[in-house]
Amino acid sequence: MIGWVTDRIDRFRGRGAYAATVPPMDGALRPNTRLEDADVVARIAAPDNLVVYRGQVLFSSGATIMALDLASGAMTDWRRCPTEVSALAVQGETLAIGLTDGSLILAGDSDRTVKAPGGCITALVDGGDGRLILCVGSARNPSGEWKRDLLQGGATGALWSIGLNGVAQKLSDGLAWPSGAAVAGSGVVVVEAWRHRLTQSGAPLVTDLPGYPSRLSPAPGGWWLTVFAPRNQLIELVLRERDYRERMMHEVAPDHWIAPSLSPAVDFNEPMQGGAIRTHGIIKPWAPTRSYGLLVRLDARFQPIASYHSRADGRFHGVTSALQVGDKVLVTSRGGNAVLALTEVQP
Amino acid sequence: MASDLFTRWRYKLVPDKIVGEILSKSWVDNAIPFLFLMIALAVFGALLPSMFTAGSMSGMTRTAGEYLLVALGLTIVIMAGGIDLSVGSVFALANLSMLALGGVVGLPWGVAALVVLAMGGLIGLVNGVLIGYLRLRAFLTTLVMLIIVRAVTDTLLLSYSKDITSVQIMSPVWEFLAFKTVFGVAPSFLVALALAALAHFVLTRLRPGWHILAVGGSRRAAHNAGIDVRRTVCLTYVISGALAAAAGIFYAARLASLGNDTGLGLEITILTAVVLGGTSLGGGRGSVFKTVLGVIIVVIITNSLIRLGLRSGASSLVLGTILLMAVAIDVRWLKNRAKLLARSYVAPTYFALPPLQKVSRAPDTPYAINDLLSDAEPIGVGQVDGPEDVILDAEGNLYCGSRDGDIIRFLAPDHKVREVYAHIGGSTLGLAFDRDGSLLVCVGGMGLYKVTRAREVIKLSDETTRSWLSIVDDSRMRLADDLDIAPDGRVFFSEATIRYEMHDWIIDALEGRGNGRIICYDPRDGSSRTVLSGRQFPNGICMVPDGQSFLFAETWGCRISRFYYDGPKRGRVEAVIPDLPGYPDNINLASDGNFWCGIIGMRAPAFDLAQKMPKFRKHMVMQIARDEWLYPNMNTGGVIKFDLSGKIVQSLWDGVGERHPQVTSIREHKGYLYLGGIFNNRIGRYKIPGADPEWTGPGAYWGAKP
Repeated sequence: MIGWVTDRIDRFRGRGAYAATVPPMDGALRPNTRLEDADVVARIAAPDNLVVYRGQVLFSSGATIMALDLASGAMTDWRRCPTEVSALAVQGETLAIGLTDGSLILAGDSDRTVKAPGGCITALVDGGDGRLILCVGSARNPSGEWKRDLLQGGATGALWSIGLNGVAQKLSDGLAWPSGAAVAGSGVVVVEAWRHRLTQSGAPLVTDLPGYPSRLSPAPGGWWLTVFAPRNQLIELVLRERDYRERMMHEVAPDHWIAPSLSPAVDFNEPMQGGAIRTHGIIKPWAPTRSYGLLVRLDARFQPIASYHSRADGRFHGVTSALQVGDKVLVTSRGGNAVLALTEVQP
Repeated sequence: MASDLFTRWRYKLVPDKIVGEILSKSWVDNAIPFLFLMIALAVFGALLPSMFTAGSMSGMTRTAGEYLLVALGLTIVIMAGGIDLSVGSVFALANLSMLALGGVVGLPWGVAALVVLAMGGLIGLVNGVLIGYLRLRAFLTTLVMLIIVRAVTDTLLLSYSKDITSVQIMSPVWEFLAFKTVFGVAPSFLVALALAALAHFVLTRLRPGWHILAVGGSRRAAHNAGIDVRRTVCLTYVISGALAAAAGIFYAARLASLGNDTGLGLEITILTAVVLGGTSLGGGRGSVFKTVLGVIIVVIITNSLIRLGLRSGASSLVLGTILLMAVAIDVRWLKNRAKLLARSYVAPTYFALPPLQKVSRAPDTPYAINDLLSDAEPIGVGQVDGPEDVILDAEGNLYCGSRDGDIIRFLAPDHKVREVYAHIGGSTLGLAFDRDGSLLVCVGGMGLYKVTRAREVIKLSDETTRSWLSIVDDSRMRLADDLDIAPDGRVFFSEATIRYEMHDWIIDALEGRGNGRIICYDPRDGSSRTVLSGRQFPNGICMVPDGQSFLFAETWGCRISRFYYDGPKRGRVEAVIPDLPGYPDNINLASDGNFWCGIIGMRAPAFDLAQKMPKFRKHMVMQIARDEWLYPNMNTGGVIKFDLSGKIVQSLWDGVGERHPQVTSIREHKGYLYLGGIFNNRIGRYKIPGADPEWTGPGAYWGAKP
């Protein structure tokens, strides 16, 4: 009885389990403008999924896979796919291409197309010993509908492993939008975006990140973790307000939802928060925002040790992939439509 | 939608805003003691049916009179940040001295009383010097004084009690004080009430009273303000001592008896009464009325407990418990009141806007988005802060308001030289020139002002009629926003909201209620009266040249309407544009007979939906930080030109939102359009293709100037 009453009070006052709070960006995640100030290597719509394949840097932009010449920044069409590319991975001489329609192209000297065990491919990772690790974000929504999945409280994602023989094996399910993975030590580390955490065999490694994390890629002595959108108090509130959330999904166009976003606000029909009013021509860097650019460097035990930011007033939001090439790190800002290069990355 | 209908009626019928408005009143501090009084009356009235008989009440007023006198003194001490525990002993000594001086010594009772009062004051003075000037701790000092005075009383009692009780004071006045009542009320209570009224007057209206409150609120601040803190503190103890002695005199008159237990534990009883009334132990907060309330409660409780047959020990136990509870409530209330108020003041209600029109860059749509305003030439970048309204005089000088209360002028012809035309204070918003070239200005937080050509600032209006059923005082103007002047000289101006101050104006959007009104100031008799109320953030006002009506914009209502103040349609409101896709601000004349309107922001579907869900907005206000709240999107704005039928003739935008993200004001002048923005640091100047290069606003209103 008392539990029920305190629960009601907490709910009314927004305390305890109902607190719409967001962890602060502090410690290793303290804001800077290093990502905003990074060199722009290339400008292209919605770049994603950087990989090195046969000595060449590749990334996707829509349905096209582009090859990038690092020295000149020149891009060439490398391959066109039937639908939009949602994930890339290199496995020896094979390039695994995940498409938004759920098919998986294993490209090498010859192509082989298989049907992925789930339609919503969010990340592909070389699992070593010939396995391919595959993150399926959701059983309900395609990868483009990630906002809807978040607002529905989605926890229907799964982690699969596809062996050399093409047989798929489910490693775990019930994941909240698994969007990145890495093979380290004893098992697979999974990034769960909607739960803001990294887990290994079910045990949490990093929890309560201030944003929605996605892909992991190797860095010297550690890992790069991309965070594609920030957490925001208003969004946390909307996630707790069922009636409003459902009506919003029903009545409002997805671009105008109160939901995280990959790109800085461009449309005048988008919702605006009080702190984000442009005053004297300026938006404050610390203004509440639904989009953000953040790349986090993790140590070998997956703990954050450094971070690279493009803040609320910045351009390079929606960071979805990073790739260490020599002493440089290439970063795709999907929301900022740019491929960036960070040069000074010693932690 | 069925649930929408329910929500609408639920918020129409239950006025949620009352809670916050009551909490914002200073008298709400009395609510808890008042509630307590009601409970005490109900409980003891039920237990003791005889309590409310005339005789019983009259008996209670005798005790209450004495208690109130002591409590008044203690209230003053506590309000100045101190405490006086010696009142009980002083009371006992006064009783003894009065009987001794009047009886054994044989002084006339009046002289004796004066001597006793002086003695009480003297003891207070000792306290005051020790605490005020020598800076001893009030608690310890008065505790020691309690023991010393008690010891003196006991010693005197031991030696002279037999002599004293054998002689009685003989005087008709003394007898009257002792036994008679006036309409059932004891004289002591009447005297105490009169003193209470006096104390209230002094504390709230006179300089010494303000000094006491200031010292209690913050000694250092009071000192810095030039108040003699030491003397003020000392004075409060003198008053307390004298009042305790006065109570002792009445006690002597009533009982004419001596006893070891006279005034024993009185300090706790009185302290309970004062704190229970709501005077804060921390000082600086309290009132005499609260103390009167507290005394009545305590007298009812003690009296009832005695009648219920509780032993005197049990009675103290009850009082002590109440004191603890009162202190706890006092601490929690003080700490949380502001928080509670901040959270509960915003009272959202149901509001559905008409369907949102599609606005795009397609050139054939009425509100086609373009980037014409991004090319506007900047004036005074970084030299103005929030020019909500801009205006040009016949000579082409450019005037604008600012956030810091100035009217800034940029001199013709190139608007490069900036000067402060007048300083008013407040936030200078709407501007208009009257017939003789004086500048009329709406000042947020202050009202309607006039700046003459000689730059003299004159207040025209800051008050209108108060409505009967409003809890917040709506006679004062909180947010006078924009104005225009009718041909006969009457000034019609909008007050955007009566519930929020200037700096909180956007929060009004979250309520979705018509909190604003339009007021008419008549210069012929200097009166102001509300002509239209319950409007949703009425903002821009612009006269229609027919001399009978004006246009006004309701910002949160996304509509422009026409109000007839004269003529056959007098009093009527007609919709002109009922469904804007953005939030309109100021309206002004265009040279071609149409009207310009500034658009401060655009409707966001997510916000429109929230307007239909007041509960969601309430949760938002309660649960997340203010900077994170959802607001109308104010980062894209523009200008529209429309005619009286509501047809959109033209629209100009800053689609990029760099230079003029929101436009609050527009003025056409000699072929150019001047743009102001409340969050901007510049004024924009845009060349209107094909506009009349000779047209000026003052010319259109008042004809060619001599």
